[in-house]
Amino acid sequence: MGNQKLDQLKKEYMDTPIPQELDFLVRKTLKENGVYSIPNKKAFRRLGAIAASIAIVFGIFIVEINSSPAFAKSMSEVPVVGNLVKVLTFREYTVKDEGCDAEIKVPQVQGLKDKKLENSINEKYLKEGKELYQGFTADMEELKKNGGGHMGISSGYEVKTDTDRILSIGRYTVNTVGSSSTQMKYDTIDKKKQVLLTLPSLFKDDQYIKVISDNIKKQMREQMKKDKDVTYWLDDPEIDPSEQFNQIKKDQSFYINKDGKLIISFDKYDVAPGCMGVVEFTIPTDVLSNILVGNEYIH
Amino acid sequence: MGKKTIEMQIADYVMKYQDSHYRLAYSIVKDPYDAQDIVQESITKAFSSKKSLKEPDYIKTWFYRIEVNTALDFLRKRNKTVLSDEEMLSDQDSGECDQYTDFDLRKALEDLPVSYRSVVVLRYFEDLKIEEVAEVLNENVNTVKTRLYKALQKLRITMNDAKEV
Repeated sequence: MGNQKLDQLKKEYMDTPIPQELDFLVRKTLKENGVYSIPNKKAFRRLGAIAASIAIVFGIFIVEINSSPAFAKSMSEVPVVGNLVKVLTFREYTVKDEGCDAEIKVPQVQGLKDKKLENSINEKYLKEGKELYQGFTADMEELKKNGGGHMGISSGYEVKTDTDRILSIGRYTVNTVGSSSTQMKYDTIDKKKQVLLTLPSLFKDDQYIKVISDNIKKQMREQMKKDKDVTYWLDDPEIDPSEQFNQIKKDQSFYINKDGKLIISFDKYDVAPGCMGVVEFTIPTDVLSNILVGNEYIH
Repeated sequence: MGKKTIEMQIADYVMKYQDSHYRLAYSIVKDPYDAQDIVQESITKAFSSKKSLKEPDYIKTWFYRIEVNTALDFLRKRNKTVLSDEEMLSDQDSGECDQYTDFDLRKALEDLPVSYRSVVVLRYFEDLKIEEVAEVLNENVNTVKTRLYKALQKLRITMNDAKEV
């Protein structure tokens, strides 16, 4: 009988939730003490468990969250969900009116412990979504006044990367008036440190602009050589030099993929003709290793 | 055995038992962030005092000891000094045989002074031997036995087998 009580207590003790960051912190501490290369088995095991719980919980979540605030609240109290940083559709604007179609999905990030960061990201998303919608309706009125026509806008998001460390959210806006233009914007969050990563923050100094640009030019040339249908605005004597790809912007769109590789993204028309669409370049890590602040994110 | 081997052994041990050590730290400091700090600090202390690990076989008790001390130091620094002597325990005696119908066992455990709680945690949850508990807490075996006995009394747990205590 006494043992039963102890067993119960022990069970509760063993159920103490283990923070996701623990494994990372332990590794970091070991590293700080000069011990490297610890086998990674444990992390994988835990990652599997988390992935499984995402799969189970997420399916229900998407259906229920808009319909029942009480349910959403009760779900957020389930400990495992509390640990998860996730992206949901927060608001949807839909317009269907005489040849004018708009579908704007505003994402929302949830589950960050740093609520200030979470709010600032979500406010940005909501503000940009609203502006897009208002801009569209204004354009629509204008178009109607001038005798009508076709225009459309489609905006949404996709989770590019979701590991236990990194969350990369890509938001796209496709504007259709005659031809279409596409814009991509990315936000990459370090879930463990709870910070929004910027491109400059990954590197020791501004050298990255040149290093990355040179690598992209090299890749562009290789691709054009291999495939005659591929065109970039580079080394083309027919095009004004100011229109040619020179270098990336300091805050060029980027994200980090699940393999820890840096991906640089260009909007449609930015560096290539429209038929190329949105283009992405994977920058090989060995090109960057000397100028990276660390190998936490990119490796 | 070279120095490096000891370091690797410590690292392997820490990686393998990090969850256990987190739970122990949490049971003492009751805060997930503080508990993680305790684990990190304990690891660093373990490396800086690796010379005190005479025999790699004792790494478990050795590490528990570092961790418990780190956690207790932390509590002291936080000014939430948790008294651990008999007086404290008797202060909590609320009288004769108060019989709650829904006696909250877990709360009772949490209300125990930390030195009693850690005895219970180490002996029954972490499954250390009495001698090991004594080693970890740097007390003699009889003190540990007494604390364990009193703690169980407080928790209203009567052990069928007195030998287990």
